[in-house]
Amino acid sequence: MTAVTGYWNRLSLASRALLVLVPALLVLGGVATVALALLLPPLLDFLGANLGLVRFIIAATVIIVVTIPTAFVIIYMELKVIARMNLRVGPDRVGPFGAAQSVVHGLKVLSKEDYTPAGVDVSVFTLAPVAVFLTTIMSFLVIPFAPGLVAQDLNIALLYFFAIGGLNVVGLMMAGWASYNKYSLIGALRAAAQAISYEIPLTLSVVGVIILAGTMSTTAIVAQQSGSFLDWNVWKQPLALLVFFIAATAEANRTPLDMTEADQELVAGFATEYSGMRFGFFFFAEYVNVFVVSAIMVVLFFGGWTAPFDWPFPVQLALDPASLGIGLLFLIALAPVLGTVILALPFWLGSSRISTLQALLIGFVLFNVVAVAALLGWAFVSFDWVVGLFWMLAKSYVFVFVFVQMRATFPRVRIDQLMGFAWKWLLPAALLNIFVTAIAVSLVGKG
Amino acid sequence: MTTPTRPSLDDPALAIPVEHAGIFEPIPVPRTEREREFYDLKDGELLLNMGPHHPSTHGVLRVVLKINGEQIVDVDPVLGYLHRGAEKICENADYHQVISQVDPLEYISALFNEWGAVLSFEKLLDVEVPRRAEYIRVLAGELNRVASHMLFLGFYALDLGGITPILWSFAERDEIMEALAALTGQKLLFNYFRIGGVNGDLNHEFLSRVGDWMSRAGTHLEDGMTLLNENEIFVRRTRGIGVIDRETALRMCVSGANLRASGVPFDLRRAHPYSVYPELDFDIPTRAEGDSLARYLLRFDEVKQSLRIIDQCLHEMPDGPVMAKLPRLLRPRPGRAFSSVEAPRGQYSTYVVSDGTDQPFRMRIHDASFLHLEILGLLMPGTLVQDIMVVMSSLDPVMGGVDK
Repeated sequence: MTAVTGYWNRLSLASRALLVLVPALLVLGGVATVALALLLPPLLDFLGANLGLVRFIIAATVIIVVTIPTAFVIIYMELKVIARMNLRVGPDRVGPFGAAQSVVHGLKVLSKEDYTPAGVDVSVFTLAPVAVFLTTIMSFLVIPFAPGLVAQDLNIALLYFFAIGGLNVVGLMMAGWASYNKYSLIGALRAAAQAISYEIPLTLSVVGVIILAGTMSTTAIVAQQSGSFLDWNVWKQPLALLVFFIAATAEANRTPLDMTEADQELVAGFATEYSGMRFGFFFFAEYVNVFVVSAIMVVLFFGGWTAPFDWPFPVQLALDPASLGIGLLFLIALAPVLGTVILALPFWLGSSRISTLQALLIGFVLFNVVAVAALLGWAFVSFDWVVGLFWMLAKSYVFVFVFVQMRATFPRVRIDQLMGFAWKWLLPAALLNIFVTAIAVSLVGKG
Repeated sequence: MTTPTRPSLDDPALAIPVEHAGIFEPIPVPRTEREREFYDLKDGELLLNMGPHHPSTHGVLRVVLKINGEQIVDVDPVLGYLHRGAEKICENADYHQVISQVDPLEYISALFNEWGAVLSFEKLLDVEVPRRAEYIRVLAGELNRVASHMLFLGFYALDLGGITPILWSFAERDEIMEALAALTGQKLLFNYFRIGGVNGDLNHEFLSRVGDWMSRAGTHLEDGMTLLNENEIFVRRTRGIGVIDRETALRMCVSGANLRASGVPFDLRRAHPYSVYPELDFDIPTRAEGDSLARYLLRFDEVKQSLRIIDQCLHEMPDGPVMAKLPRLLRPRPGRAFSSVEAPRGQYSTYVVSDGTDQPFRMRIHDASFLHLEILGLLMPGTLVQDIMVVMSSLDPVMGGVDK
């Protein structure tokens, strides 16, 4: 016994870890193999019988995974665009042109202390960020990104979208109420008042679109707008777009309608007492919300995934890699090396200050860029859903850009002006839009 | 009524149960009739403590708001978080040292603090200041006024939620501060004016920087005005908010740009001229409305007039010495002197009593921001929580000067 103890004591920390982990992993691997062999066939049968469920779980996972980079991109865009408007340079230290700045922000938020102040209602306080984040990413479920690339093609997609969007305010109220802070409480009450006021024009403004499409399914609405950009709903429903845009700004809590977290008055509104990743969830939810609002606006009024014009140079690629035979193997083995060397040559010849190794490194990076570009170009030509995704994201980010630019341009409105605007102007405008659309449809039809 | 005494933490009636310690904020035992009225909450009313660490209370101002929903019922500004006893410090310093001691009072426009002090000392000593020194003082002072107003214009927009104007105006302010640093050696607390003149003549770097900036200042100012002056949201939030009418302004001793925005053309540079201001050609802009928008726009007008003054100073700068001949140790005869200058925030006055030694016997400093904060109590009740940022910011207080 003493011999074993002495042997153990002489080991370094890494060796001890290895000594424990390797046998444990071996045992676990054996057990897992046996379990898989026994359980996989019935599991596969079960999954095959419930394809809808599998599809939903995969889609939900993909959405959760995709939202984080979306938030990162929008945060970086906001940092950079607002900096330019403010006569600043913006982040330029982390990554090329500071592109990794938002990732570093995310890591910083993760590593911060997650503090629960005295006096808060702990369970509600903890659940509030979850509620806010979940309701935001659940809106993604009905956004069609490309033909076939939609998590759930509900026939009541718009109804679902607005219902989930309205749930967002529950999370904000939870945060404000549980925080035991007067600023948070006022922020939450403002959020509730604002959400109730702006939910109505927001929902009513799309009724015109629903009348034109005859359905609430988002994919059907996009399909109804297919063709050139002249077929988009924006030409038939300009007033609805205006109402929707303003109400959506309020729904996404963006300047000039960001009453709930007016930092000059309420410090940080409902998020005042939050720190660490709980605050990060609010933060992410806000930026994801900006994307969601932009995307649904594109779906409703700007033709969703459809291209605004036909591609002027129709390219048909008849690639058949199998026909190359053994040549394909040589191509895969030789192309990276040859490409790297060829791309490195100009640098190696052109400048005496670049060493051979540096030139090869540059060539390697350039080859990767070229390869990725070629791959994307091939995918763009070959697959419909890549084209759809491209146009959908391009159009959405145009509106994200508008939201970001608005933040650097406008001061904040006052709370009574905000409410007055919703009830006195947006609501009548939305109703007027419904009447005009209904009359037009009954007179001249849906064309 | 029995005289209320200060609350003691040992008083068992005030003791907070241990499990609630740090959760409930104790409402102070009222000491005056006013406090009794303020801290007596009616149904639906809430006390909201704003400051001293709040993003938009401009330093360490603390305002206790009594609100009913979003509506303000009453406000109670609590001052003194930055009190250093500057007047007492000045009484323990000799006349030269006072100049650096008054610098940090109104730290946004430090030259005017020095100007008030040296002006009263010169009256006490009966010193004739050389004309070139006076011109340099006016030049540096007006540059500082522009820098101060630029800071105001930016922060005013920031308090309303606009994040761009602050950086645009800081670009201007930074150029002025660099120029003044070339002249005085410091960027914020200049310590430049001396009794009987200024510390050091104009130098090449200062003149080239000022000339460079002046060639662009006009267009930059116009650019800055396009940011917000006709922004519908901005105008709707500021017009008719925090109206100080002419009578109230005069009764509450409002001065400076806030008074002129209420339609009273009172400017110490014209009303009680000092230095070489009588020789210079400039107007006193006024506005009749007296609301927050008028106070904002008036500062743009003032910056334009300051640019005119700077231009004249640069063109008509006389030759000569920049310091009067004075002994090292100043012992003015017993007596008293009062001076006031038109600082960017209003009338900045210094009253000094000499007992014949080399230190002031009594030094009293009056800063306009203090009186401007007092008027908050008249303006705020009945408005919304968001309006307090607009009004407070438009009055442009600097807490260094208020708390002294």
